[in-house]
Amino acid sequence: MQKSFSLDLLEVGEQATIRQLDSSELPSKFYEMGLLPGAVVEIKHKAPFHGPIGLQISNSNILIAIRKSEALHIFVEK
Amino acid sequence: MKNPIIAFLGNPNVGKTSLFNRITKLHQHVGNYPGITVEKREGSVKANNKTYRIIDLPGTYTLFPTSMDEEIVYNVLADKKNLAHPDLVVVVAEPNNIKRSVVLYQQARELGVPAIFVVNMIDEVNAKGIDIDYQKLEAYLHTRVYTTDARNGKGIAQLIQAFDERPGYFPGQFEVDSTYELALEEAKKAFPLHTEYQTWQFIAQENISFLTKEQQQTLADIRKRHQLSPNVLQQTEAIKRNTKIEEDLKTIIIHKDNHHLHRTNRIDKVLLHPVLGYIIFFFLLFLVFQLVFILSEPIMDWIDENFSALIDYTASVLPEGPLSNLLTQGILAGIGGIIIFVPQIAILFLLISLMEETGYMSRVVFLMDRWLRPYGLNGKSVIPLMSGVGCAVPAIMAARNIENTKERLVTMLVTPFMTCAARLPIYVVLISLVIPNETFLGFGLQGLVLNLLYILGVVAALLSAAVLNKIIKNQHKSFLIFELPSYKTPDWRNVGMNMWEKTSGFLFQAGKIILAMAVILWVLGNFGPNDKFNNAEEYVQQANPTLSEEEFDEEVASFRLEHSFLGYMGMGIEPLVRPLGYDWKMGIGLISSFAAREVFVGTMATVYSLGEDIDPDDDEERETLLSRMRSEINRNTGQPSYNLASGISLLLFYAFAMQCMSTIAIMKRETGSWKWTLIQTVMMTGIAYIIAFVAYQLLK
Repeated sequence: MQKSFSLDLLEVGEQATIRQLDSSELPSKFYEMGLLPGAVVEIKHKAPFHGPIGLQISNSNILIAIRKSEALHIFVEK
Repeated sequence: MKNPIIAFLGNPNVGKTSLFNRITKLHQHVGNYPGITVEKREGSVKANNKTYRIIDLPGTYTLFPTSMDEEIVYNVLADKKNLAHPDLVVVVAEPNNIKRSVVLYQQARELGVPAIFVVNMIDEVNAKGIDIDYQKLEAYLHTRVYTTDARNGKGIAQLIQAFDERPGYFPGQFEVDSTYELALEEAKKAFPLHTEYQTWQFIAQENISFLTKEQQQTLADIRKRHQLSPNVLQQTEAIKRNTKIEEDLKTIIIHKDNHHLHRTNRIDKVLLHPVLGYIIFFFLLFLVFQLVFILSEPIMDWIDENFSALIDYTASVLPEGPLSNLLTQGILAGIGGIIIFVPQIAILFLLISLMEETGYMSRVVFLMDRWLRPYGLNGKSVIPLMSGVGCAVPAIMAARNIENTKERLVTMLVTPFMTCAARLPIYVVLISLVIPNETFLGFGLQGLVLNLLYILGVVAALLSAAVLNKIIKNQHKSFLIFELPSYKTPDWRNVGMNMWEKTSGFLFQAGKIILAMAVILWVLGNFGPNDKFNNAEEYVQQANPTLSEEEFDEEVASFRLEHSFLGYMGMGIEPLVRPLGYDWKMGIGLISSFAAREVFVGTMATVYSLGEDIDPDDDEERETLLSRMRSEINRNTGQPSYNLASGISLLLFYAFAMQCMSTIAIMKRETGSWKWTLIQTVMMTGIAYIIAFVAYQLLK
């Protein structure tokens, strides 16, 4: 089995499946906007100097941007 | 019978506002939600032999609020006593993202509100590679599903026909986990009249503003007994609902290849590029401000000319005297002074709303978040800060979609430091008075100083944000999540409406204040408390028996001003402003322009020309005013009143001071407290005083 790691480690162009969100760190808005366990995401953009990360949620074709500090609490598997 | 209320509910970027504009046409206005102080967009449409009230609710992803905008949506839908509580909700979706809209739809239905479902932007359905089985969707949602395209009006007529539908039965789609059942049962006993889902919402939200204190306490006790965290409850619901809807929609909506997204991704490769993205953004910013000044110039000149002509004409028709003065110099000149900003503000908001409509503004948020965060701001603060260059009032309102309370507050507190359009005429007059018309390194010195003042505004905003960030405590964790919508061509109807709303808001709000100030100033300047004012001729005659007639008249006028109410006020404030290098006449300007900065120039015209007609908008007459101001001697120092030291000090004072009643009013409205409003006013004016003092003392 592959180990899960935090979303911010993905490079632009890489895809992964969300396994878990640290719910004590993130508000429910993250779920509501589509960052749900099981969703496949692809990193599309990264703003320089640890700026926001732009990702596409593939099953709904939406582009979402979050901060790197929030991506730390989202765990994914490749 | 009361007019039925129809509320439009939907995610941001689904074309909800386009649909609203399409249906209500120009029959709309912006008001306030009762009790709370948030802008409400409402319109009306006549159809089916009645008038419907249409409310455009702020865009939201869920009925669990995280920002002020979203809280309104919840309150309107959940509180049956709310005056805006709708008879029918129209849930607006876009083809690409029906799933998320179904979440909202279900939540609304389970709260007990009848709703119909609309798939907007239907013309894009093919390009977005989507197949929808409408029959199955209608059966699934237990309601009629309509399709519209707000841009070309397709389907609008059918949608309006549907405003009388009141779909009844809706089976709950969300089963509360057995772990929470006990808590829910307790809450149901406390709120027997509500639907089960409503009661669940009550437990799952920290703070529901329309419940009484006792009710809130009951809920808090239940949460405590069962050790429930609202955040976890909300997440449970989000996961359950989304998983179920995802599964249910699999056979109803089929996604194929999305061409729009391909295009958007291609554009984003450039616009969000780590280097190129910033270069383009700053170039656009530069272009926006160039356009604001270049495009507005001919229109401003035109207004200028015509207003001067109007004032001259009025002055020639009316019999000479104080009343004619009030009308021409007070009221007309005052109104001219704000109308002249209209082109600039309109163009600025045109460009900003273009950036919003195309989807570029979200990219700006993406690019800037990293650079604003160290100052305690948020990527979303960019919009208020940029709008602040036009007028702080709409800019402060634009801070509403910032979720984090603290970041929103800091943004609102520092936005008025941005150089708004009202500072410009003061800067122009003062710069032409005290800065020599020379070149420096090939640039015009006066223009350079003006640019510096703009930069100073940005620096002041950022630095004070950094300080406030250290002082204000954060109640919630800061987070940022937002959608980067697909790029689209702007809906010109929306752009036009937005531009009109912002500009007319400025015009009428500022207009009222200027009008009131003009009358007050006139009264204060034309009446005095004692004999010295009323019998000025005698006093002057006694003091200087040898004056020629012309000198005598001038002396009387200035003696009268000195002993008018206005004069006494100016002299009253003089000890306070003397360390800054100002005399009592400038003191009058400071007092009157507390209402609005732009009043300063008009007041100066009144003060230095009392009894004569000088129109500050007319070039030639402005020269007269300027030369008069130039030759004015400060009797405390014996130097010209407007020398380099006092001029710079005055410029700096206006750059920082909170000289604007509209901003104060809007801060009170938006923060809902006098505390922050007063802190902001004291902070700004305090900084202004100190900096002006230091500048004058160093330069004199």
